Amino acid sequence: MGDLQIRDLNQSFLRDDGSELSVLEHLSFEVHDKEFVCILGSSGCGKTTLLRLIAGLDEARSGSIILDGEEIKSPSPKVGFVFQEYSLFPWRTVIDNIAFGLEMKGMVREERYRIAEHFLDLVNLTQFRNSYPSELSGGMRQRVAVTRALALDPVLLLMDEPFGALDAQTRNMLQQELLGIWEKTRKTVVFITHSVDEAVFLSDRIIVLTSRPGRICRIFPVELPRPRDRTSVEFAQVRRDVLDLINQNYCIQ
Amino acid sequence: MKITAIALIAIALLLITAGCTQPSATTSTTSTAAPIKELRIGYQPSTHQMAEITAMDKGWWQQDLAPLGVVNVTDTVFPTGAPEMQAMLAGDIDVAYVGSAPVLSAVATGLDAKIVAGVNTQGSDLVVRNDLNYSGPQSLKGLTIATFPAGTIQDTILRNWLMQNNITPDKDVTIKGMNGGDAVTAIAAGKVDAVFLPTPSPSTVVNLGKGKIVVHSGEMYPNHTCCVLVVSGKLIREHPEIVRQIIKTNDKAVAYNEQNLDEAAGIFSNKTGTKLEDVKDSLKEWDGNWASDPNIIINPVLDYARIQYNSGIIKKPLTKDDLFDLSFYQKS
Amino acid sequence: MGSHVQKNGKDRWLGALAIILALVIWEIIAAVIIRYPFILPAPTDVAAAFVNLLQHGTLLLDLEDSLIHFAIGLGVAILVGIPLGIAMGWNHRFNAFIDPIVEIFRPIPPLAWIPFAIIWFGLTAWSAGFVIFAGAVFPIIINTYSGFRSVPRIFVEAGKMLGCTKDRDLIRYIAFPAALPSVAAGIRIATGVGWMCLVAAELFGVSNYGLGQKLWWFYDIHQMDSVVVYMIILGFIGLAFDMVFRYYLDRHFLKWRTGEVA
Repeated sequence: MGDLQIRDLNQSFLRDDGSELSVLEHLSFEVHDKEFVCILGSSGCGKTTLLRLIAGLDEARSGSIILDGEEIKSPSPKVGFVFQEYSLFPWRTVIDNIAFGLEMKGMVREERYRIAEHFLDLVNLTQFRNSYPSELSGGMRQRVAVTRALALDPVLLLMDEPFGALDAQTRNMLQQELLGIWEKTRKTVVFITHSVDEAVFLSDRIIVLTSRPGRICRIFPVELPRPRDRTSVEFAQVRRDVLDLINQNYCIQ
Repeated sequence: MKITAIALIAIALLLITAGCTQPSATTSTTSTAAPIKELRIGYQPSTHQMAEITAMDKGWWQQDLAPLGVVNVTDTVFPTGAPEMQAMLAGDIDVAYVGSAPVLSAVATGLDAKIVAGVNTQGSDLVVRNDLNYSGPQSLKGLTIATFPAGTIQDTILRNWLMQNNITPDKDVTIKGMNGGDAVTAIAAGKVDAVFLPTPSPSTVVNLGKGKIVVHSGEMYPNHTCCVLVVSGKLIREHPEIVRQIIKTNDKAVAYNEQNLDEAAGIFSNKTGTKLEDVKDSLKEWDGNWASDPNIIINPVLDYARIQYNSGIIKKPLTKDDLFDLSFYQKS
Repeated sequence: MGSHVQKNGKDRWLGALAIILALVIWEIIAAVIIRYPFILPAPTDVAAAFVNLLQHGTLLLDLEDSLIHFAIGLGVAILVGIPLGIAMGWNHRFNAFIDPIVEIFRPIPPLAWIPFAIIWFGLTAWSAGFVIFAGAVFPIIINTYSGFRSVPRIFVEAGKMLGCTKDRDLIRYIAFPAALPSVAAGIRIATGVGWMCLVAAELFGVSNYGLGQKLWWFYDIHQMDSVVVYMIILGFIGLAFDMVFRYYLDRHFLKWRTGEVA
């Protein structure tokens, strides 16, 4: 459950003048069941492109993406996605947003509300059950977005810099909350970020991508026990290693 | 508080001036009347008014009126009498060839103008769809008839004739008012059962193969006045000589038309766009008469006035002097 | 600074004052300056005509027939315009195909459709409705179309990830709710335009009653005071429609928008 294999993935876009821009090249890696993996890289290195391919929102030029033995070619409720921008449906209340996927599955009202309320409780937002997204703060909206993706009980959860637009304090708080949920629900998570700090705090492994075209530079295992202390020496060491790699551009080939 | 005070004063002013809108009595300016440079004539595209069209085409208006100081004569076409009277009420035309019924409601609303001569009598036909059988007025029961709008000659005569035959308009027969073009379209598309229209429209319908003429308006109301020549009060007071000449020119045109029917039909067809065949056929079949003697039209017109007053179309009764000024007509 | 509450009260009074002043000026111009009820009937003439029409006239029957014509025109405009706008907004090829036809027909004034209204529908409520439809359908098509075009892609993709993958479901659960504000705006505009077409629609003898029909009737017999009565009634009803949109429909069905633009 939740075994992801990326094999020799290539993606490119056609430029206006007809030439091809290679965005991802020969990408291969694995994500094991129940692992929390961060994909780290600077802007424009193809992280979002990669995530959208795993989600099935776009089709790759070549290569394959295999989840639990089956190839991913189109969006499926087995894979949950949390977008970078606010993606809650503004015309639905919080509870109706979370219950959306269940409604698509055909579940009856009482049943899907029960499940949705359970997840809402997980992020401590029960009192906003009947509010509209426009009445919530940015942090709250992203938390609801996470629960909306989780409500369908996907085996794989993809997150595209979900906390990027939030302030540092909210961000840290949400990271902790996310880990709490992950520990409870035990999903496989692929999390995109350009913050080294965030990657070290959250992940089991960090996959560092190079820029244009995107290739795997190095994969860092992070073996610190959780809960992690951002100020500890070990934490700082891992951080330094990753930063060194990025700063010294070891990956330019 | 200031605002409420202003509001109360304003309401008081309103109440005081209420009821002050009576049409101003015609202030006759006996000062030297300025010569009229331009004479504006209104008409409708009906063969009833062919005299106007022939005279304009031949240049007789300009010719005959130039010695009296008129430099330019123009004419404007109107689909029915109501907008034509509207234009006269607004002072946009000085002379009108118009059905005698619209004049009544206009004068009742304060139009400063008088009927100075007749233009024609009779000349409208009831046309029934080809697939319907006409065996007398009773066979019209349950049908829909399209005719000119309320207050026109056609509307007045049709309703009157139906009632004389014990048929109640709007109950036994549906009457729909619209202008001539829409009425012809309606019967051609089979959407109404009959139309009652002045010539040449009936012939247009017949030649389209969409109807047959069953009753002439002269059968509904023998010798009824149709169109009349109306002249503005200003023109009457300030330039009686022009009014006299207008009538003479009209008579000249009528005489010419009667002698040269085919040519007149051609002139009419060119000006109005009606098909030449339809014009010629209508001149052959109509029961109309281009007669300008106003004395024979006084009674029918006063009769219309009575009918319209009784049916609430005009709000006050009209007398002969309200409507006519016959001093200009001279039997030539 | 004055408080908000006081400001609202004063504003209402100002509005009422403006109307009263306008009436007074109108009365003075008509009664004292022009004195010719054909050219400008005074407010008092109009009021008298109104009272007369209430007692002897057919105001209610007129209102009824006009509302029927309007309901037909607007109803069919919604039934035709919304699906067409959805199809055009959702499917590029369909849009490329249909758009030129829409753009050619759109500028044709509803009045110009009268001959065909008669030919195709006769002299019935449907022909009046058709003329109104000719005016009302285009704002609906265009606003629905632009509403669908501007549905943010992220909503569609989020929907797909949550198991909503068929086109029909995406339109029903995602695109249409997202486009609803535009669709509602289109209907609101269409209501205004359609109501204005009423006078044209009742010009050619479709019925013996109707606010527009009576307007022309009184025009034909030069009773301008009654014409003004019907003009004012038409204006007030148009205003009533707009207020229903503004205060009721917007508030109830689109309340999720509050908070986004203050």
